[in-house]
Amino acid sequence: MGDTVALNRQALSSAHCGITSLELFPSKYSETLRFGEVKITNEQLKQKLAVRDQGVTRTTLLAMHAFEDAVRQSGLTSTEISSYDTVLIGANTVGGMCLTDELYHDANNDKEGSAYLSSYDIGSVNLFMQQHYGMKGVGNTINTACSSSANAIMYGARLIHHGFAKRAIVGGTDSLAKFTINGFNALHILSPEICKPFDQNRQGLNLAEGAGFLVLEREEDVPHKKVYAVLSGYCNANDAYHPSSLSDNGDGPFLAMQGALSSAGLKPEQISFVNAHGTATGNNDEVEGKAMQRVFSTVPYFASTKSNTGHALGGSGAIEAVFSVLNLVHQELYPSLNFDTPIESTGLVPIQQYIQTPVDHVMSNSFGFGGNCSSLIFSKA
Amino acid sequence: MVYIHHCACVSPQPNLLTAQTETIQESVDNVLHVMEPKYDGIPLGVLRRMGKAVRMGVGTALPLIHKHDKPLQGIVIGTANGGMEDCIKFLNQVIEFEEGTLTPTNFVQSTTNAIASQLGMMSSNKGYNITHVNRGLSFENALLDVIMLLREHPTQAYLLGGVEEISNYNYNIDHLAGSYKKEIISNLHLYDSKTDGSIAGEGVAMFIADAEGVGAIAVVDAIKLLPADQVDEIVVQLQLFLATHLSEGEVIDVLLTGENGDERLNPFYGAVEEVLKGATVARYKHLTGEFATASALSLYIACQVLESQTLPSHLLKYPSAKKEIKKILLYNNHKGVQHSFILVSKI
Repeated sequence: MGDTVALNRQALSSAHCGITSLELFPSKYSETLRFGEVKITNEQLKQKLAVRDQGVTRTTLLAMHAFEDAVRQSGLTSTEISSYDTVLIGANTVGGMCLTDELYHDANNDKEGSAYLSSYDIGSVNLFMQQHYGMKGVGNTINTACSSSANAIMYGARLIHHGFAKRAIVGGTDSLAKFTINGFNALHILSPEICKPFDQNRQGLNLAEGAGFLVLEREEDVPHKKVYAVLSGYCNANDAYHPSSLSDNGDGPFLAMQGALSSAGLKPEQISFVNAHGTATGNNDEVEGKAMQRVFSTVPYFASTKSNTGHALGGSGAIEAVFSVLNLVHQELYPSLNFDTPIESTGLVPIQQYIQTPVDHVMSNSFGFGGNCSSLIFSKA
Repeated sequence: MVYIHHCACVSPQPNLLTAQTETIQESVDNVLHVMEPKYDGIPLGVLRRMGKAVRMGVGTALPLIHKHDKPLQGIVIGTANGGMEDCIKFLNQVIEFEEGTLTPTNFVQSTTNAIASQLGMMSSNKGYNITHVNRGLSFENALLDVIMLLREHPTQAYLLGGVEEISNYNYNIDHLAGSYKKEIISNLHLYDSKTDGSIAGEGVAMFIADAEGVGAIAVVDAIKLLPADQVDEIVVQLQLFLATHLSEGEVIDVLLTGENGDERLNPFYGAVEEVLKGATVARYKHLTGEFATASALSLYIACQVLESQTLPSHLLKYPSAKKEIKKILLYNNHKGVQHSFILVSKI
């Protein structure tokens, strides 16, 4: 939907959907499935970022792009970035596995390697960024599948809270990879058409790529800076039910949402809007709906921005955190797209038009494989 | 303060602590593979469906979870690569069947969060569940997470663990990248080697941790994670760490390092030993081989040494005349760029 926050806001406001067939990434499923592909080539990204190193993957380039934009907006100085009390907490699920053919070669070969030998693991993204930007603080990478970057945001906030950091640059990234395309396809949860979150006739998710980063600082440390929003609550809980689907009752989602409310000290009715996980799989949307009905006596406005972006896995929690911040900064809600018929068992209807309305607290849900559920709450600054 | 109550490990040795020099399992072609136990209490059918990393992790942790007398508040795992074998098996299918119809088993097993999530599922634990995957500082971040969790929930207990498997696939990748020695050596002569690279290994260590000392076997006082590539910087940060975390009159009795026979890293280990002159210096990677979460096994060794007050002679690099072991400093160095200090004390 764009490579700046402003372009993303414009797309969200005008109900634009960025899901298409594949144009840059070669896959057998380029035409038969739909994806959220970033229409910028690796060469263009490298040029933009002035990266000349060999062995840098698309996953890393997307992360660097978002990181640099976030840092620019936050006004952090280079001394602050390289300070021991600035931490970089990232998240992703594919690392350098977007390079399927190179990895296939290097893993099955003992003679001669490609330029990407140190770029395959998930940790490689942050390690490269830490070295590239000369960062000395605690670095970490988290993988809790689709909730990875929500947990990166939590972890960064907790490091600040406990005095292990003064500021945290937090986020996540993922790029399209044959590994995930074929993995999700084998699980029969990829949609041949543009996804329909919370619709009775939804057919699955659209895999996507992208990255989001946020800069967290303590309010008292930045009295003169523009504050976009407050991360006021968070919770990580596990559904403890099945490796790749949620339980009927949605205990994991329920506990994550409830825990985030209690950590923020908020009552359910104070939540203005929920940026739902809303992948548009049969399992997720019904369970998430039921869990929302358990948490909220009246379910607030909610939407799934995955109907605009598709599902960027380890990047999605951070991307949707940025969207939640936009809701608060501009006091506006964006429509959920492609919705016709409510799911029978819940009857829930997502918000379907752009509105301006008082937005005080936004809950952002991210639920992943392995029952890894996390909810964040952002509040008006 | 993180009090360790129970710990267990799976390593390339039948027993990491009682191993006498003559009973040490030898490496084959520069690889030390774990000796897996039977994993009592987990049905064979369930074990068979698990990849190695998940099997080792779950098999080691589940008995500990059951051993602890109160329910755990969460599961915190560090692993750089998780189920690498399953991961590349699935990848190979993608290539060889040209993105044809595949079974999702290897895919689901191969995600790095599979160990923590299987543990959550199998122990019905709906609490905090996370997997830290920051290569050579994965276990350290898991430990740091538990330090914070115990400050947030001082009456609760957590499972903490580090897991890594070595498969032909990640051996090839890391070998091509220069992490392992070109010439074949024996782990028994690991530290005599004067060449680049180490030998490959794998293993699991699991801990039950809480903030209450009653009945604990050891306590983790502090941790420092340090992305750095200069020896001088490590020295300055170590001095700062010691000044912050040792009280008047306290000293480090044993320095347990991750020395791994890689000539390129010896300047770091030498400099750290110099700062801690007078301490007993010990090392362990001839027992485990090198892997990204080997420091989890060093914490296991430290807990055992503090409890038993004995240090097997083959671990010693520089013995000292110290009688009582009260404080152990763990120093690990992953590929010269990811460093950690962990301070562990006797109860």
